[in-house]
Amino acid sequence: MRPRKILSVEFLAPVLLALATISVVGYHQRDLPFKAHQERSFNSPRLVSIKPLLVSIKPLIEEGEICTDPDSSESPNLASLGAGPTITSILAQRAMQEQRPARLDRGPARMIIDTSPTFSNVVVDVARNEVIAAGENTFQVLVYDRRANTPTNATMTEPKRVLGGNKTKIDYVCGLHVDPSTGDIYILNDDTETTLSVYSRDDQGNIPADRELKTPIYTFGLAVDEEHQELYMTVQRDGAVSVFRKQASGDEAPIRLLQGPRTRLADPHGIAIDSTNDLMFVTNFGYSARHSTEGVDLAKILPKPNWPIDNRLVIPGSGKFEAPSVTVHERTASGDTPPLRVIQGPKTRLNMPAGIAADPKRREIYVANDMDHSILVFSSEAGGDVAPLRLLKGSKTGLKHPSGLFLDTKNNELWVANFGNHSLTVYPLSAQGDTAPLRTIRSAPLGSPTTMVGNPGAVAYDTKRSELLVPN
Amino acid sequence: MAHPRIAAFARLADDKSIPIRVIEGQSALLARTAHAIEYDEVHDEIFIPQMIAQAVLVFSGSAMGEVSPIRIIQGDKTRLRQSDRLAIDTVNNELYVPDGDKVLVFPRDANGNVAPTRILQGPETQLGASAIAIDPVHNLLIVSGSGRSGGSRTGHLLIFNRTDQGNAKPRAVVRGPHTMLDEGGARNIRVYPANGWILVAYDGVQGENATGRSFVGVWSIYDNGDVPPRWTIGGPQGVLVKPRGVAFNVQNKEVIVSDKELNAVVTYSFPELFEQDSARVERNPLRAAVNPTPTLTEKISKIWEQLASFHF
Repeated sequence: MRPRKILSVEFLAPVLLALATISVVGYHQRDLPFKAHQERSFNSPRLVSIKPLLVSIKPLIEEGEICTDPDSSESPNLASLGAGPTITSILAQRAMQEQRPARLDRGPARMIIDTSPTFSNVVVDVARNEVIAAGENTFQVLVYDRRANTPTNATMTEPKRVLGGNKTKIDYVCGLHVDPSTGDIYILNDDTETTLSVYSRDDQGNIPADRELKTPIYTFGLAVDEEHQELYMTVQRDGAVSVFRKQASGDEAPIRLLQGPRTRLADPHGIAIDSTNDLMFVTNFGYSARHSTEGVDLAKILPKPNWPIDNRLVIPGSGKFEAPSVTVHERTASGDTPPLRVIQGPKTRLNMPAGIAADPKRREIYVANDMDHSILVFSSEAGGDVAPLRLLKGSKTGLKHPSGLFLDTKNNELWVANFGNHSLTVYPLSAQGDTAPLRTIRSAPLGSPTTMVGNPGAVAYDTKRSELLVPN
Repeated sequence: MAHPRIAAFARLADDKSIPIRVIEGQSALLARTAHAIEYDEVHDEIFIPQMIAQAVLVFSGSAMGEVSPIRIIQGDKTRLRQSDRLAIDTVNNELYVPDGDKVLVFPRDANGNVAPTRILQGPETQLGASAIAIDPVHNLLIVSGSGRSGGSRTGHLLIFNRTDQGNAKPRAVVRGPHTMLDEGGARNIRVYPANGWILVAYDGVQGENATGRSFVGVWSIYDNGDVPPRWTIGGPQGVLVKPRGVAFNVQNKEVIVSDKELNAVVTYSFPELFEQDSARVERNPLRAAVNPTPTLTEKISKIWEQLASFHF
């Protein structure tokens, strides 16, 4: 097929220059509101590079046309029939001689992308009146004023500071903690960087962490027991809780490991510590497989003591599905120790339970119930198939796929990170029913679409419905 | 990820778009970060692996909301260890699951605790299996992965006869420095059987760092040895940062790529892939190179860089 010459370079260059200028300015205003985001985009190979902005030439692609060099109006096939060499064919010939492929330098026709942060977790620095949120899709941690409230007609609330970029190793961040005394921010990745990063309160931009700790892979939840100076993290795939010293760094080994079929840990997500009553609470999606260590010298296989047994020792065909749960353990539980009790069953309403927080004073636990767009509150002494004490849910709440939450017991506020609508919402601690938030912090215009695409490891095309199938 | 699900976007969805429908929720049994998904257009079904619970889930093609799979392959007979990727063959009614050093083959309509009908495994296979694709027209099974070569770890494509089992040797191995497939190997592959092209999503990461070496490449099923891809799109040093999934839309002559670093789904117009009569062509650059235009792109990139430095 003979490609048509539709526009010359001489004509295209000024047009593209103009479009590029418009796009850069537009992109700057619309999609790069944060300085750190800008730094990330232009100083880092990660996230949105400059090149995706070339959507300005998209119409040419959509029309099925191909821009050619001025002398390449002849098709390659015609050239091969003796019509004489073209620039295209000469370049291709050179590519072949140099043993490299013919590179198709064309922009995407379309790109489904959400450049606004989608919040997976939130914590509050009560002493300094700051809120720290995890932007899972943009690989960022954003700091807001605690008292901020995005007006309905505002595009978003400007964060005070943003951490992000390849030097930060922030990657699908899900776990957060703020040190109440120093304001240090602890950042735990869900995938794929196996690093816990600790930043000083004032840090921002694309800078290395003050302290890094090598973690197991597929971590999700993070909790810190300030009283005992211990740091807890859940490990999804291997069904474990790893406990480190709070000040651990580098390749330091965990001090405890909770893992095994008796623990009832099954794709654990959120974790909360009640150091007053010596309890540990873990939310579980209910997926698991068993491992076998029989005849295995773990010291030779695992990199360090108390490291989770991983999929190299998983028993083929041992996988199973169970109902989601909240498992309640002794704070210092280790090994393959059964939980003290398990909250599980249809009355619990648990449906993809993610973040969890404990209120030792009221002896209550709060669960971000992702798929039910609700917050469940249970007694910390609950077990079995029990209904929550309180339920926060409804159209006025603004809850949409709540993934993380935080209890601010000083100001008596409940903070929720909504993965489904670019928002952090705040409620009275005792809120229940269809209660509107006291305040809302948004990272995108009200009602802005949320693609909710996170770590899209695959894609398929549904030919019957002309749809792109994208798993998270 | 914070929220596992399958989202179905309209073909023309662009920028910030919401999906037309979503499969999600506890009943759907989906786990974090699925690395494969297949649509069976003959039986209108969706196949997806569940790595944590060692299962393969099958949904109705029209599934929407919080629905349960219509079939689940799981149990001790399955020998599933880390079911992370898969491929289906609607012609021969089979399901293929790569699992480390082996490939497990099940009936396409398998359900419950079923044993594989055959297994490809052994030192001659050279598996490390990562991703897999089936070409029912040419009766081939193509596996991507990585292995030791010349003392270093490198990515490869292994091409087997579709029905190979046991300790079978691949009929062709695409491997070597000219392939540009480094140690991570290809993350996902598809075959366009009509003319025998193999699409490869290669993220080029070192550790977890993006290197700019990522691309979607196209090889022929007739390729063998240390040969470069016939085409690359989206890179190296292009739009794609960590391409992980790849699919094609024959009707509209498009290639669709999911990128885990951009958290985006990128669609390219790629008519060359579908217009070539057969991949059984010599490495003829006059046919292979359709639109290199590097000078124009370089010019635009320079303009961007200048503008970026001016604004920021």
